Amino acid sequence: MALRSLVSIVDDDESVRESLPDLLTELGFAVEAFASAEAFLASDCIGRTSCLLLDIAMPGMKGPDLQRELTLRRQAIPIVYITACRGDAVRPQLLENGAVQCLFKPFSDTALREALDSALNVN
Amino acid sequence: MTESPGIQNGIRLETVIPNGAASLESILRTEELLGRRSRLPDHEKENSALAALVGALADSPRTILQTLSDKVLDVLEADSAGLSLLTKDNKRFYWAAIAGAWQPHAGGGTPRDFGPCGDVLDRNVPMLFTHWERRYPYLGAALPLAEEGLLVPFLVKGRSVGTIWAIAHNGQRKFDREDLRLLESMGRFASAAYQTVESIEDLKVEIAAREKAESELRELAGSLEAQVTARTEDLEQRNRQLADARALLAEEKLQLERSEAFLARAQGLSRTGSWHLSLRTGTIAWSRELATILGFESESESASDPLFLQRIHPEDRFRVDQIRSAAITERKDYDVEYRLCLPGVIKHVHAVGNYSASDSGDPEYIGAVMDITERKRAEEDLRRSEAFLAQAQRLSRTGSFSWRVATDEIACSAELHRIFALDTPAPVTLEAIRARIHPEDMHLIDAMILHARADARDFEYEPTLQMPDGSIKYLHLIAHGVRDHDGRLEYIGSVQDVTQRRLSEDALAKARTDLAHVSRVSSLGVLTASIAHEVNQPLSGIVTNASTCLRMLGADPPNVEGARETARRTIRDGNRASEVISRLRSLFANKGAATESVDLNEATREVIALSSSRLQRDRAILRTELADDLPPVSGDRVQLQQVILNLLQNALDAMSTVDDRPRQLVVRTERDEGDRVRLTVQDAGVGFGPQVGERLFEAFYTTKSDGMGIGLSVSRAIIERHRGRLWAAPNDGPGAAVAFSIPCVAGDGAGRNREGIISAPVLADAERVMRSL
Repeated sequence: MALRSLVSIVDDDESVRESLPDLLTELGFAVEAFASAEAFLASDCIGRTSCLLLDIAMPGMKGPDLQRELTLRRQAIPIVYITACRGDAVRPQLLENGAVQCLFKPFSDTALREALDSALNVN
Repeated sequence: MTESPGIQNGIRLETVIPNGAASLESILRTEELLGRRSRLPDHEKENSALAALVGALADSPRTILQTLSDKVLDVLEADSAGLSLLTKDNKRFYWAAIAGAWQPHAGGGTPRDFGPCGDVLDRNVPMLFTHWERRYPYLGAALPLAEEGLLVPFLVKGRSVGTIWAIAHNGQRKFDREDLRLLESMGRFASAAYQTVESIEDLKVEIAAREKAESELRELAGSLEAQVTARTEDLEQRNRQLADARALLAEEKLQLERSEAFLARAQGLSRTGSWHLSLRTGTIAWSRELATILGFESESESASDPLFLQRIHPEDRFRVDQIRSAAITERKDYDVEYRLCLPGVIKHVHAVGNYSASDSGDPEYIGAVMDITERKRAEEDLRRSEAFLAQAQRLSRTGSFSWRVATDEIACSAELHRIFALDTPAPVTLEAIRARIHPEDMHLIDAMILHARADARDFEYEPTLQMPDGSIKYLHLIAHGVRDHDGRLEYIGSVQDVTQRRLSEDALAKARTDLAHVSRVSSLGVLTASIAHEVNQPLSGIVTNASTCLRMLGADPPNVEGARETARRTIRDGNRASEVISRLRSLFANKGAATESVDLNEATREVIALSSSRLQRDRAILRTELADDLPPVSGDRVQLQQVILNLLQNALDAMSTVDDRPRQLVVRTERDEGDRVRLTVQDAGVGFGPQVGERLFEAFYTTKSDGMGIGLSVSRAIIERHRGRLWAAPNDGPGAAVAFSIPCVAGDGAGRNREGIISAPVLADAERVMRSL
């Protein structure tokens, strides 16, 4: 079995950090979950992460802030945003700024699978 | 010798004779007379006249001169006839006897050296004059005027002592040589008669004097001693009388001086000078104040008419002289205003002249000259400030009025006439004003008038006018009621045409409404987003866990333990979602109010005051029935006022399309059973059907085309937080009533705030939304 791709999750919501890793594991990915953007940046996972599942609204550093920081560090990690705020205006903006996909919570496993596929293909 | 009312009018000599007075030759017609065809002598008439004179001389020599005048009048068929005699001082002629039209002038006379008589005596020949007043203007006052005057010298003992004359006042009668002959003949007779009379008189005087002297001598001789005694006593008495008279005189002099001082003072204070003019002597006298008004050093200049005329403004001089001369000629009073031109200053004066006869019967004028410069200036200032006011009213589109309630007399400024487009000359009536009022405002105005009549009050209205051309005007009316000394009610007020301002205000209000609507919608959007975020988080967990669970169960072999774990987490997330919902409910339902003691009447009055502009704009008639004994309630004053405002606005909205009946609105407070206080807002609007009922209070339910459906549901939430009740009921007639009832005593603190459970952003959003609603 090939080395499983690492998907990192950054979300302040605990239920997401609990539920999403199990599903991703079932889908065949390695998973690391972080409660904040700052915790992710402090970890050693940045270089190994194949795809980042990133919440938008968080205390402290927001999702797009982390995206900018990674761009500054020349870390071209594909990003799939996950958000509980259903804002139609936000989505095109995020996609334009380079996000692979933007999923509105709650999302189905199929939608997640497709987003990850497209992110990894890009890679 | 008397020289009373007559012609001697010397005063006019300096003043009235124009520089270009007629020459003597130009008024003489003597040569023409000699050339005229003579009428036939009437010897019979002449003889009978002479016979009458002889008879008169015998019977009543004292009246011989009058008889002579009568006969001259008769024989010459003249209009006036008479005899002028030189006075003993040779300075004047006096008219000793006159018959005919000039009879009333008897006793008058002319100067020796300036008149027809003088001319005749100078030349010692008969003369015929025509219109002698052209040369001797004072004769212009002797009416009727003389068309022709025939004069012959009157000689006594070869010396001229006067003239005999006949006058024709009518142009039809022309004297001729026959008339001259008759006059001369009668003159000769008169001369003889005069001498005779004079001799008889002299003789009489001589005899009387002798008789008197003799009788005195007799008395003297008879009672010399007694006379000496009597004379001594008499003398003593006279001395006493003299002393008394002196004292009296001194007293009178003192009083006179005092009253003169008063008069001078009064004249100075009132700026009124006085003058006196004797027509007989031509003397003129000025009071000190008059001299001051005329700009003369009071004592240095002696009063005279030329000096006076010289002071009159050149443009007024001719007019004043004409009016004055005409008045003096006709012996009438006059009254004239004119200007004085003094060095460096123009004065306005008001002058009056009053004709009268002095105690001695002399004709005279007494007059006054008032300096009215100040008054003229004040009048001018008043005119100017009135013009300013009218201009200011025009510019600010503000008219002013006064209204006497008892008589309905209305006085309006010109600008008010213009605003109401009223005919300026017609008197303004209440009906004329009412005719301009917009039909929809009529009941408002009538109510206003009714209130205003009841008692003096101040009021402010914004009536709408419908002009004859169909255009609409918006006005702002302010009036102040006062009662005068007699208790009569009068209103004084102003009316401003605020049409322009009103139109822009309307546009602004619409923009505000639109903005408020947008902000309400956007606030609601923010709240919805917050709620969605809170709910979506646990939902997301549920969906993810369920997906994982399915996958674990579908694996080969199935991961039952993992599936059980994820199912447990699914249940937990479901509970979390439910908890979020219940937290939101508690936010709306159980938020504890900031409690304070609130006077619901006062809170209501504030809301009405805030809404007064809208009430007027919507032409609603508001009646407030606020209970006097209302106990305070415990609650959040601002929130309760939001509810009242909401109820008021709903009521107005419900009446906005009502045009067939008054938009009657009642706000009532009263005690309710069980220590509660009730507030009711009752409208005459469109009301609601029975099927609507409770749905009114559901969120997002609305009967309005442009409403949000939030107001009543929020209002009910607020009232319920005050442990009260809010309900609606249709009226018996049109419209509906919405009421709430809340306890008037402090509560037990139930429904404490549990906001801490809900995340801060949601709470903040929710509160903001609540406020904006």
